[in-house]
Amino acid sequence: MSIRACALAGAVRAGEHSAVEVVQKTLAAIAAGNGAINAFTAVTEKRALAEAAAVDAARASGRDPGPLAGVPFAVKNLYDIAGLATIAGSRIDRDRAPAARDAALVRRLVGAGAVLVGALNMDEYAFGFSTENSHYGATRNPHDPTRIAGGSSGGSAAAVAASLVPLALGSDTNGSIRVPAALCGVFGLRPTYGRLSRAGLRLFAASIDVGGPFGRSVEDLAIAYDALQGPDRDDPACAARDPEPTLPELRRGLDGIRLAVAGGYFESQGTPEVFAAVERVSSALGVSQRVALPAAGVARAAAMIVTSVEGAELHLPDLIARAAEFDPKTRARFLAGALAPGVWYAHAQRFRRWYCKELTALFRTVDVILAPATPYPAFPIGQAVMEVGGQKLPAAGHLGVYTQPLSFAGLPVVAAPIAGIGPLPLGVQIVAAPWREDLALRVAAAAEAIGAVASPSPTKLHDAR
Amino acid sequence: MAEPVDPAQYVPRAAALLGLPLTPEDRDNVIGAFAVLARVAGVVMAFPLPEEIVAAAAFTPDDGSAP
Repeated sequence: MSIRACALAGAVRAGEHSAVEVVQKTLAAIAAGNGAINAFTAVTEKRALAEAAAVDAARASGRDPGPLAGVPFAVKNLYDIAGLATIAGSRIDRDRAPAARDAALVRRLVGAGAVLVGALNMDEYAFGFSTENSHYGATRNPHDPTRIAGGSSGGSAAAVAASLVPLALGSDTNGSIRVPAALCGVFGLRPTYGRLSRAGLRLFAASIDVGGPFGRSVEDLAIAYDALQGPDRDDPACAARDPEPTLPELRRGLDGIRLAVAGGYFESQGTPEVFAAVERVSSALGVSQRVALPAAGVARAAAMIVTSVEGAELHLPDLIARAAEFDPKTRARFLAGALAPGVWYAHAQRFRRWYCKELTALFRTVDVILAPATPYPAFPIGQAVMEVGGQKLPAAGHLGVYTQPLSFAGLPVVAAPIAGIGPLPLGVQIVAAPWREDLALRVAAAAEAIGAVASPSPTKLHDAR
Repeated sequence: MAEPVDPAQYVPRAAALLGLPLTPEDRDNVIGAFAVLARVAGVVMAFPLPEEIVAAAAFTPDDGSAP
């Protein structure tokens, strides 16, 4: 059975497999394979079988079962799932009442015929890049289970990389889709800020947060993203834009797209293997132009201030009443964010306006920019410090060095796994102007078509499967 | 740009003002985390911005649900 969403949906729609059969095999794969990577925190077996049966019934009665008919998916555990407490990687939120309904994006995928099979591990309240969760354990990288999966949507990336599900949803504030996608060797899409509804997501930093999909191919990202689009009044940040389907345009190639590589800041602070890997992709695409993003380092710093302050404010009552129950990995950073002077936050938000104006000008001269996703591949679980160019850096914190300046501007980014390297995956960010997910996906599809990016299958999990 | 505050002095006082209890163990970790944040803030605050640059607020003067 295929691990690709498009192929699976095609097979279910054609009656080659029943949705129930697909979901039973998926549940068996999760039962057999999750122990090795610790990606799932809940498996929704009962509802999955019921949803799959509904898809089969729709098809049997001649109704359209949807573009994602019978495709199993799972979501980062900050997405509301009706009947479950939304834990967002925390112990504290286990005390919350079960969600009354599914998050908007879950409803949209189910509405397209997909079948929810469970919830996935993450850094507590999304404040991390490594999914080394002290309450629920670290999620392990399917390409080397002694190493991190990346985070904060680590369970989402790992579950897709290990072929437990063909699709997953995560969220991205500072890189939480792109970092784990890169480290686990899968595709991830961080859409434009405001493109997708966040209704029913436990937010982290509301002025930066977005939700988005993971998959094993660009086509799978596109079909999921198309099903997720559309305005939603339940999320005040969600733009009043009609869906702009990307799948029909995916194979249009690179004609008319001006490509460049991010220079300067994005060519420093990482290991040589990362820059060599990005060079493989840019060479394959024939890209020679370099562009500099203005004040990218300041943008990263400003993103850290905004994130720390908004995250701390959201959790302030719990920080006052029950700080000891926070994950030791996040506690001190949340408490520190609560103490930040207001002028830091206001200046960071004003800088953001200046920065977006500059990037708007930059995107008049270029359509799509390539940049590394992370400064190094996945490191061993528990490693605290990473040395890069003689400098000792916080191993997890520095993972966001290339993702944070892009999300702070709200830009859409595809993280794509670079082909022909190894054994550990690395990713390239394919960055477009606001609302131009279509261009980022088209470039990713063109790179995939010439073999420059591809999602590798893990080789070290055979014993577990 | 110099750090605007001394974390070891500032953190216990600001936490007390907010009613944020810090255990002795947390206190040192928070001072360390705040020192990192203060260095990061130094980068942001050192970037001069014209007064006419206003924050890109998504604020709408209603409950956000209007079409």
